[in-house]
Amino acid sequence: MNNTAQKHDATPLVAESYYAAVTDALRTEAARLLSEGVVTAVIGYKEGRRHGTAGPAIVVDPARANELIFSAACVNNLALYLTKAKKGVAGTGKIAIVAKGCDLRALAGLMAESQIRREDLHIIGVACAGVFGSGADRREPLSAGNLAGKCRECSVGAPEGADIVIGTLPPLPELSPVEAEELARLEAMTPAERWAFWKENFARCIRCFACRQVCPFCYCEQCLCDRNRPQAVETTPRPAGNMAWHIVRAMHLAGRCAGCAECERACPMDIPLNLLNRKMARELKELYGHEAGLTPVEKGPLVIYREDDDQSFIK
Amino acid sequence: MPKTITEQNLRLLIDSLIKEGTRVIGPRRTGTITLYEPLARGEELDLNELPRRSAKEVFFPVCENILSFQRGEEGVKVTDIDPCAFPETVLIGARPCDAAAAPVLDSVFSWDYKDEFFLQRRRKTTVIGLACTTADDACFCSAVGLSPADSKGADLFLTPVREGGYLCEALTDKGKTLITSHARLFAETSAAAPLSLNEPAGVKLDLHKIKGWLDENFESPIWKEIADRCAGCGSCAFLCPACHCFDIVDEGTEAEGHRRKFWDACGFGKFTDHASGHNPRDAQPKRYRNRIMHKFKYYDDKFGQTLCTGCGRCIRWCPVGIDIKAVLEEIQKG
Repeated sequence: MNNTAQKHDATPLVAESYYAAVTDALRTEAARLLSEGVVTAVIGYKEGRRHGTAGPAIVVDPARANELIFSAACVNNLALYLTKAKKGVAGTGKIAIVAKGCDLRALAGLMAESQIRREDLHIIGVACAGVFGSGADRREPLSAGNLAGKCRECSVGAPEGADIVIGTLPPLPELSPVEAEELARLEAMTPAERWAFWKENFARCIRCFACRQVCPFCYCEQCLCDRNRPQAVETTPRPAGNMAWHIVRAMHLAGRCAGCAECERACPMDIPLNLLNRKMARELKELYGHEAGLTPVEKGPLVIYREDDDQSFIK
Repeated sequence: MPKTITEQNLRLLIDSLIKEGTRVIGPRRTGTITLYEPLARGEELDLNELPRRSAKEVFFPVCENILSFQRGEEGVKVTDIDPCAFPETVLIGARPCDAAAAPVLDSVFSWDYKDEFFLQRRRKTTVIGLACTTADDACFCSAVGLSPADSKGADLFLTPVREGGYLCEALTDKGKTLITSHARLFAETSAAAPLSLNEPAGVKLDLHKIKGWLDENFESPIWKEIADRCAGCGSCAFLCPACHCFDIVDEGTEAEGHRRKFWDACGFGKFTDHASGHNPRDAQPKRYRNRIMHKFKYYDDKFGQTLCTGCGRCIRWCPVGIDIKAVLEEIQKG
């Protein structure tokens, strides 16, 4: 990489003052919602101890609304905390949630699957220029150089369908779609090469299930992969079970995954899981013209049954 | 007189060990990730960063067979694995936070039950430790009583020197043998200047005070406050050099199969799920509490040791940003 490219790579995408302004407005809104009793809790982000880090926070006391922040370190998809799997975390009553555009798609999907109801939510949308990539250098401001791969192709920077949207983004540069390019590279492979690629990647899997646990759509109360009597998928971190688990995961999320790429971010073994999600999303779009998370009413094609469904494949 | 070894000779040492039939495990980089893996040659050694997973897997693999079974005409035949047949191994490039964890784990694996799978691997492994020059803001070894220069758990300890190469200190007979059997690769020196090590910054922890608080606060609102957001994955436990819980399962077909021992994690919802349906740790904060209690109270009660070496892996890789150092600082405040 030459110097010019490096310089371009490190150019901040938004000014630091943008995050300060969004944070201020967010705190004001959260304090108002809590003190007026509009909501019982606000699910947002608070700063981490280390520079350039942040994590989920559940605020119930208006006096603590000033702990909330928004920055490029706000990587989590907070929709997780509204799912059955995390039931009770935010208490009962109407809940406010801070949502980036990509997180909103997960909220829409969860509404379509009757997991949450729009009227129980107060959605605080935040206009987002992108978040830090996993393992990226967070000492520098957000730039093309340390941006998460998924954000390079983001089309939902300014969220739609929220109760309020905080922040107005400056024009952002077009960036090369690294994920789409990687997907194209995989699609150009022979099946044997692709099998080898995934075999090598899944060999590293240690079954920590971070991918499952951070996914807003992995809310099953009994995961097939935890069962050992009868055992459907080997529970041990070995090639056969690993491959089976990741295939089950990808298939179960096909047409439902909202593309937040939290699975890939959470994976401590750097397995490029979002490539599988994206591939399935594309298949679903081609086969059924369906895109997950665009509207909160449409169920994914693989989770509904209609009497006039094509059944010719059943022999 | 102290011994030194050059970068090049360190790699030749690996080549030579491999040639002699010794298994050599060290940090090796593939793509974006460095792991402790068997090396095929010295050149593969990559000491640039702390491996993503700890070195515990050298003694306690992610998954291993502990017996196998076959159904034959005369009934079921069970075949044991012989831990005495495990290969002689050299673990090279273990940082203080990884090397120091092994003797801590000896306590639990040789307590009421002697786990020969772990203990034989310990006996058969020589650990070449490495003083650490790469601390980042997640590291806190010096806050839990270790330091980047701590040679605990190492048989031979390498300290990088300014001139390039390493100062070598043999701490055990295993370490001395390694040097004498490869004497030509080591030099004697009177003046080697160690590189300045990178002491992790931040608050020192008073482990005694923390334990005192934990003794009294099994029930505390802090657990919910900290761990409601815990996603319940096993990332922290699996990357940890000291977490050692495992599960055992039989896998295979009716005709044949294996009994396997593999990593488990107290963060998982199923970890304490009883067959009756009752789960004493029925919410995530109770599971996170166990993680802290086990590391800083129970293990201390039982073995007089702390089950944390401050490597910071759980901090770096927690998907929801739970920071054990911040939690401990909070507890320390009382």
